[in-house]
Amino acid sequence: MEHGVDSSFLVHRALSMAGASGTEVSPEGAEVAKLVRLALGGDATAFEQIIARYERRVMTVAIRLLGTRDDAQDAAQEVFYRAFKYLHRLDPQKPVEPWLIRMTVNACRDIGRKRQKWRSTFPETTAPEAVATDRSGDPHAGLAGEQERQMVWKALDSLPEKERMAIVLRDIEGFSTSEVAAILRSSETTVRSQVSRGRLRMKELIDQMMGGLL
Amino acid sequence: MKCAFSNELLALYVEGDLPAVDAELTATHLTGCEECRQFLDQLRERQSLLKSLRQETINPSSFAGMRREVLSRICDAQQTFGWAVKIERVLMLGFRRRGYAFAGLAIAAILSVSLLAQMRHALPEPHPSGAVFEGRDTLLRPEGYRQWVFVGASIGRESFHNVYINRPAYREYAKTGTFPEGTVMVREIASSKMKKEPGLDGVYEKEFIALEASVKDSSRFDGGWGFFDFTDNDGKMKAKAQALSDGTGCRSCHEERAETDHVFTQFYPVLRSARAEL
Repeated sequence: MEHGVDSSFLVHRALSMAGASGTEVSPEGAEVAKLVRLALGGDATAFEQIIARYERRVMTVAIRLLGTRDDAQDAAQEVFYRAFKYLHRLDPQKPVEPWLIRMTVNACRDIGRKRQKWRSTFPETTAPEAVATDRSGDPHAGLAGEQERQMVWKALDSLPEKERMAIVLRDIEGFSTSEVAAILRSSETTVRSQVSRGRLRMKELIDQMMGGLL
Repeated sequence: MKCAFSNELLALYVEGDLPAVDAELTATHLTGCEECRQFLDQLRERQSLLKSLRQETINPSSFAGMRREVLSRICDAQQTFGWAVKIERVLMLGFRRRGYAFAGLAIAAILSVSLLAQMRHALPEPHPSGAVFEGRDTLLRPEGYRQWVFVGASIGRESFHNVYINRPAYREYAKTGTFPEGTVMVREIASSKMKKEPGLDGVYEKEFIALEASVKDSSRFDGGWGFFDFTDNDGKMKAKAQALSDGTGCRSCHEERAETDHVFTQFYPVLRSARAEL
């Protein structure tokens, strides 16, 4: 099950062409490149630091695609295992994150198919249990916010797989259209079409649910 | 909505995802259409609701277990990485150093010369299991596809559709669940004949009447796949075919309705069972 990383160079090239990475390496990029070099030399602590940098993003994407903490943890484990195994394919001058997200999408697809638990088949799925809203600045945010959150998750859960992936990556994770196209190995036109349909469907579903609440 | 303006455009306009020309067109329309402005406001509200999920955080305890598992798995696996990965790692890391790079180039040159020498004898043998293009989007009719993996047959309204996939692509799909670049699917269409004889009741294939193909090649085709018809208007078979335009509806139908990456795996138990074993 290694197709995600087999295509890493293509993804890098595509992302690079799409402007996802510049030619100048940022201080953070240089630091990550150093960690990659150390990890390639067998330094487990360096790889652990790489995990620590990206685990939040990887887990967040995985949980939004798979819907359960357990599945997302499995996906993240697989992603970082593949990343270690094929770390030598990574160009130190290129950003690590898009490479990892591409692998995350692939790992989530694999897990969803293997377990026949792709979230769209579970219309009653609730918001992921491991994801909690940061309410530190708003102690009164309560039931209404929670209801809205459940509603959005439920609507997201109802979308077809391709539309949900496009919406999660574009609207929640904030990747640009060209980045999403590179991650999903699709064209920008296709991604736009999926995003557009997804947004309209989300609106319709949330409108319906809100109508039910009134 | 009574206004006939495209909701799809508004759904992209709301986040600035439209190309400049479409964005300008949409903005111009919005200035004169109250109904679309209201729809856009509603879309904006829904988008902000969706984006509120960005504020959600994951319980840090979820990371600790995952990290522990990964590190333990890596520790075990380092000894058991296959030879292919080990050789690849040595070569790729080695080539980043100048000395090794020159040595690698020298080896590659020697190998290329010997391969070219062999190819001189092999040409013009057709590619046995893949797509051969002439120019950017003209595909030569696949040869020997009946020796590929037979995916299955379906009965259309008046014809049988026999579908094949090239062997390397099938192997990769069975291994990973993903159709690799270079996947070629061939659909051979045969007319049908109904028999009503004792012991032979049924519908049978009569004659081959058409040949179609699809090829996955992201470097050539928008959306990753190209579609080809090797049958001309007189029903004769062509030696090569240019990729069909989007107007034929092939791409959109495969994109929208095929279960797996433009392939109707939902209709082929052979492919479904290959994936189920993953």
